[in-house]
Amino acid sequence: MSFTPKPGTALLIVGHGSTENPDSSTPYFEHADEIRQRGLFGEVHCCFWKEEPSMRESAYMIDADEVYVVPDFISEGYFTQEVIPRELQLEGPTTRRGGKTWHYTLPVGVHRSMTGLLLQRAKEVAPDASPAETTLFIVGHGTGLNQNSTKAIRDQVDLIKASGAGYAEVHDAFMEEQPFIAEWDKIAATPNVVVVPFFIADGLHSYQDIPVLLGIEAEPGEAASQREVFRHNPHHLRGKTLYYSSSIGTERNMADVILDQVADFDATHLS
Amino acid sequence: MKLAERLAQALAAGIRHIGQVAISPRAGAKGYELRHIDDEGQPESALQRHEGIAAARSISTWAADGHYRFTKGELSLVRGWRLLLDSPEELRQALDLFYPAAAGLWFAQADGRIEIEHLRAKLNRQTGMYRFARNINDETAQRLVREVCGPGNCCVKKILWQIDADTPLEDSEASRFDGVVGEIARAEAIPLLCREACNHFVAEARKAAKAK
Repeated sequence: MSFTPKPGTALLIVGHGSTENPDSSTPYFEHADEIRQRGLFGEVHCCFWKEEPSMRESAYMIDADEVYVVPDFISEGYFTQEVIPRELQLEGPTTRRGGKTWHYTLPVGVHRSMTGLLLQRAKEVAPDASPAETTLFIVGHGTGLNQNSTKAIRDQVDLIKASGAGYAEVHDAFMEEQPFIAEWDKIAATPNVVVVPFFIADGLHSYQDIPVLLGIEAEPGEAASQREVFRHNPHHLRGKTLYYSSSIGTERNMADVILDQVADFDATHLS
Repeated sequence: MKLAERLAQALAAGIRHIGQVAISPRAGAKGYELRHIDDEGQPESALQRHEGIAAARSISTWAADGHYRFTKGELSLVRGWRLLLDSPEELRQALDLFYPAAAGLWFAQADGRIEIEHLRAKLNRQTGMYRFARNINDETAQRLVREVCGPGNCCVKKILWQIDADTPLEDSEASRFDGVVGEIARAEAIPLLCREACNHFVAEARKAAKAK
């Protein structure tokens, strides 16, 4: 989708961040950098829940009178519906406060263009695997606390199935609820398996926990940026050929999804 | 006036420091050079040269002992580097990576438009797992300021908030600290300002409340 530049406005990317692992916020800075390089906004900033700048501080970095706030989160839920509106003092899609107009978009993960990104990532990680002989897993955390995150993944699975990409099977799977990703070899009937984590960052879950559940590693490894050697695909495990991708949010083209959410906001609320 | 222009004016008027970062106009060239304040007297050849904004994040992410600096007000910035920036806009972006929002907060304070949130309001607005943090009493809150904030605990921001509107912070190294690092002229520094307790403090308050 072509994006009409907004030189007089600011883009504020909101991320979770971490007090444990700086890899957690790397994708947000990369998405911001990508959009900044394209010169589509007058300013591009990041702010975080667990890191600095905090959401409350972010207004002090912004010159523009009009701000698009995009949650760089994979689903709607506690953070996008409660924490971010509270911290940024947002009262709806558009809020006028402190001399600025704040537009609040939907989170990136629920945008339909995520489907193309997932398919692209799956192809990149397993270029030689024929989709007809391959099962594709989209993996999330999964807990009873946030049904929205599991819904976002199930929606993507349905969209991929309907896309004509040709995968023999496409499944949702989770770390802590059924269907469990640890049982990937029992769920998949095909010789090839591709696993794409549906997270923004390569943090504890995608680089430490899921590899253990898959059987790639016996115990959690170090944080991604501290690794000397990144994993090499494919892995021959449990009688199958397994391809494991880094989190979908580390894809630099996530910048396009951020722009898509801004464009959708305009079409829905400002046209 | 835009923040970058205002920053350039402040530099032209003699501002040279923010936190552990020294800023100087580049001799014979446009733009600025940043260094660790303890490296100001070092020859260029002794420092690793970096260019561009992105290096500000990599320089400020890890402390010398290898721990992750998730609070940027930490007194643990590594030494041994110099960072070359081409414009006031690059300077603004780099400073927002070293000390997020600090320059903007300083300008807002000068304009009288900085919004200060006292600790009780900050804790009372927490939800989810952090809602327990509001259960600390004032005595515990005062203790946490001494044990979490201030240069003794590695944070070099000037605390602007109180426990509540009627309850100031008790006198301590943390509550007295002025947000400027080192024995340098105060008029030449942008102080690091803390307009509300950070989420690290809230997490510590939650731990203290849970412990009771």
